Amino acid sequence: MSTILETDGLVKEFGGLTATDDVNLSIEQGELLSLIGPNGAGKSTLINLITRMLEETEGDIRFEGESITDLEPHEVVQRGIGKSFQTASIFPELSVEENANIASLGAEHGAFRFNFLVHRDSYPEVEQRTLDTLEAVGLRDQRDTRAADLPYGDKRRLEIGIALASEPSLLLMDEPTAGMSPEETQSTVELIKDLQEELDLTILLVEHDMEIVFSISDRIAVLNRGSIIAEGTPDEVQGDPSVQEAYLGGVEL
Amino acid sequence: MSDEVKSAEAADSAEVESPSLYDRWNAVREREITVAVLTVVGVFLAPFVLVEVPEMIGIRTQYIWYRSLVTLALIWGIFAIGYDLLLGFTGLLSFGHAIFWGTAAYAAGIFSAEVSGSPIAMLLVGTTVAVLLAWVIGWISLRRGGIYFAILTLAFGQMIYYIFLSPLGWLTGGENGFNSVAVDPLLGFLPLGAEVAVVPDALIGTWMYVFVGIATILAVVVGNRVLNSPYGVVLRAIRENEQRAEFVGLNVWRYKLMAFIVSGAFAGVAGSLYVIQRSFVPIENTLSWTVSGEIVIMTVLGGVGSLFGPLLGAGLYMYVANIVSGMSGIGDFWHMILGLVFVAVVVLLPEGLWGGLSWIRERVAGALGGDDR
Repeated sequence: MSTILETDGLVKEFGGLTATDDVNLSIEQGELLSLIGPNGAGKSTLINLITRMLEETEGDIRFEGESITDLEPHEVVQRGIGKSFQTASIFPELSVEENANIASLGAEHGAFRFNFLVHRDSYPEVEQRTLDTLEAVGLRDQRDTRAADLPYGDKRRLEIGIALASEPSLLLMDEPTAGMSPEETQSTVELIKDLQEELDLTILLVEHDMEIVFSISDRIAVLNRGSIIAEGTPDEVQGDPSVQEAYLGGVEL
Repeated sequence: MSDEVKSAEAADSAEVESPSLYDRWNAVREREITVAVLTVVGVFLAPFVLVEVPEMIGIRTQYIWYRSLVTLALIWGIFAIGYDLLLGFTGLLSFGHAIFWGTAAYAAGIFSAEVSGSPIAMLLVGTTVAVLLAWVIGWISLRRGGIYFAILTLAFGQMIYYIFLSPLGWLTGGENGFNSVAVDPLLGFLPLGAEVAVVPDALIGTWMYVFVGIATILAVVVGNRVLNSPYGVVLRAIRENEQRAEFVGLNVWRYKLMAFIVSGAFAGVAGSLYVIQRSFVPIENTLSWTVSGEIVIMTVLGGVGSLFGPLLGAGLYMYVANIVSGMSGIGDFWHMILGLVFVAVVVLLPEGLWGGLSWIRERVAGALGGDDR
């Protein structure tokens, strides 16, 4: 196994608050690493640093061996890091097919093209990828539906489809089952498992549902007050006393 | 007898292929060629329907359109189509589009006085200037979003207005406007003011109308193509959810800049045509901030996010501003009337006049039993 992403002494300060405190995290090719921690532990900050929504205070982030700290968010995506958002982040007024189409354009055409006078029909490869994307998340029959009219679970699936259309090598998933019914949660978990196996995807998962985390993760990293306090297999993390303390007690206001 | 058999067969196959007239219409409606043909027909019939027909049925002259107003409405319509690409499709509210309309007007006018009065050359020069300025001003203004973007464009508009008014007054004629515009005949031998001889003049009128009409048709065709290109989806995606668009790997900023430049180009074409029609560049109708406001009103009236809506909006605005304003008794209150119309449209037809027409079309389709959403 090789390391696909690593953070090196990563620090992010907001004024006096250290949201990310000297984080050294590495994700191996093909694994599902879950990032857990109490509210305010700095999970979202860490994700936003990796996607370049936030500028780090110190440290470095390397993806496939190269530093990505000078890149814009869309360049990070073009390198192969996809992101699925905490709330279903789709294009609500557009049809399901158009949603997939946009993601396919980003994947097939790169960050920008000067083709505003070329008809969309001239790009069969984009259309094909659009169909493949809809197929992959099981929304082909709803392709003409306005995305806003989909049930919540389907919106999340569409969102995952959008994130996967570019065939990222690393997918960041921010609470993919948040707000879902138990059935929807179950089908999403199945979807994640399938994706990981079929696409040889590496996944960094942020999730609150411990049952899911402990059942599907290869490794778990526990974040508290900006730093990693434990890292290992689900069994190792479960038995770690500092994790129990972080979750069950010792959390001061 | 064989004829009978043939026609029966033909009727059969026609039934199989086309379940209803409405469905067939729906299938071709969105095609580019249909849009082009409809625009040609609309432009061709507009003077007849707006000017001749009301006259024939005896409506008083002061209430009906006159030919040069139809031309002017098409010119503003071109401006509005381009503006809608930015406001309706990309979701960017610019309060500075007078810049591109106005500088194109000055560039075309000054070019006609100093270099050549060829209408086509004036159009190209004006549009080029507008595109270059849109590039620079977009590049700076699009660093910020939302209200900051609107204010930045407004500030640039005011800046350019005052530069043209005074420091460049020696060139632009300052507050008197630029009055040395000299427009030559089209292609060297077709005077724009002359009637088109080959067609009954009740239909088309002058070569000016032909020139503006062709530009309008091209503007619709190009606008429609942009909407059917990858940009059509990308721009709407940016309007809907900018962050997600960035996170499918699209360079949102560059796409916004392109939308800004393309809409600037439409404004440039329209501004150049305006000067070709008027043979004069009045600063208050070109670079003043009120122009930037008028184009927003026209676009919203017609319906943001539609291709033809802005043309309707421009037409309605022109009618109120030029015909209603001349009606005895209410003419003096035309601004208020326009305001009431605007409020009525925004409240009753949130998707503008075009949205209202679509609604009627769907009702009619429902009544005809067509399978409509």
